[in-house]
Amino acid sequence: MAISAERADGTVIAKADGRIDSSNSREFHSELEAVVTDSDAALVLDFEDLAYISSAGMRVILLTAKSLQKSGMKFVLCSMNDSIREVFKISGFDKIIDIHNSQVEALAAVGA
Amino acid sequence: MTTTESQHKHKILVVDDEPDLEPLMLQRMRRYIRTGVYEFVFARNGIEALEALDMDESIDMVLSDINMPKMDGLTLLERIPDVAPDIRAVIISAYGDMKNIRIAMNRGAFDFVTKPVDFDDLKFTIDRTLTHIREWKEALSARDKLVVLQNELNVASMMQQSILPNKFARNDNYKLFGTMQPARNVGGDFFDVIGLSDGRVGLAIADVSGKGVPAALFMMSSRTLLKGAAMRANGPGEALSEVNDVLNEDNDACMFVTMIYAVYDPDTGELTYADGGHDPPLVVHADGSTTQLPVTEGLALGVLPGFDYLQHSHKLAPGDTVVLYTDGVTEAINTEEEQLGLERLREAFEQNPPQDAEDAGHRVIDLVNDFAGDVPQFDDTTCLVLRREH
Repeated sequence: MAISAERADGTVIAKADGRIDSSNSREFHSELEAVVTDSDAALVLDFEDLAYISSAGMRVILLTAKSLQKSGMKFVLCSMNDSIREVFKISGFDKIIDIHNSQVEALAAVGA
Repeated sequence: MTTTESQHKHKILVVDDEPDLEPLMLQRMRRYIRTGVYEFVFARNGIEALEALDMDESIDMVLSDINMPKMDGLTLLERIPDVAPDIRAVIISAYGDMKNIRIAMNRGAFDFVTKPVDFDDLKFTIDRTLTHIREWKEALSARDKLVVLQNELNVASMMQQSILPNKFARNDNYKLFGTMQPARNVGGDFFDVIGLSDGRVGLAIADVSGKGVPAALFMMSSRTLLKGAAMRANGPGEALSEVNDVLNEDNDACMFVTMIYAVYDPDTGELTYADGGHDPPLVVHADGSTTQLPVTEGLALGVLPGFDYLQHSHKLAPGDTVVLYTDGVTEAINTEEEQLGLERLREAFEQNPPQDAEDAGHRVIDLVNDFAGDVPQFDDTTCLVLRREH
């Protein structure tokens, strides 16, 4: 798992690749916290290159969603493979977190 | 070790202000008292109990009522660690008294039984508590740092094993079987079977986020809260809503648990279930064909307070087998890094319909083990099976 990030007009686009499970979820969390600053308006987390996410990784998504919500920042996910999309659907997480099919749609949703 | 332990007499302090309990306990437990398995001592309130614990270091566990004069059971729970930190307490509460059960669990009670006391259930609960205490003491006695680290996993694993039912009631109308194969780094799966009124039975399967001791602790409270809510709630949807609201209190760590809770009525064959963001159960029909139970648009518990969990009903035909499972089954990985997936699970049953509930459960575990080969699995593999016989 590695995270790469770019920033344009206060919107951070972060891409995670590989697998996120209990062995690296802590690292995933700290890297994700490191890419956003207080002056950012939105975080788009792009899962195009992510193969798998376990419940430990889902917990980090939830922690991130709650902390960004508190600081008034928008947070959306995009470009998931079918099995990850299914995990978000079954767990019901897609009811509380915005998920988009592509990065273009995700950027439009956060108004970037 | 085991032999000496089993010969050791366990001393249980019973705390209740009602004088009736003492003769009843001595009478109903006389077989175990005579054979030297248990020894009972009695106290009439929390203050007497603390005095007894202070004086007598050989007491292993406490069994306490809640409402008592001078010092009640809930206050006693708070005070026990001061005098006897390794003691575990089991609370006797009024049937469905969720409020006090919740407070008791938050104050460190290990388990609870409800009034009127079912002495078979009490015996089982006492034995489970004593096993827990013994293993806890063994885990604590290790000094070496590496050993302690390993022990932390052992403690988590032991907590997990101690809450799983290992006996399944025999019944002509339906059969049950559940099994869990733990991952090496200890996940947070559990299942439970809860006896309800009118011969109905509650079935739960759940998967807690994360691993290790935090997951095990969250698992313990989820299981206990569900047990309490299940007895009181009017249906599985209401039970999950109640558990969810409690789990959301002070959940800054954002732990969550996915869960299916179902109630089976053997008189009608009706299975009523609610979905807490968990994989949909699979129904295997007598001819081997399979269908997934429609899930009810649920959400993992502990995520959003006030969420309204809906419930569905499905009538089982005689010979139908319901397989509740966790994602450790469908997300098992083989040497090619492929996931096992739902299709392989369905095929395993379609080619060869299960003979009974136990056969179906073993079939799931065997499928995972054959598929995974030598690849270490990162998640617990758990299933709970209900088969309608008549």
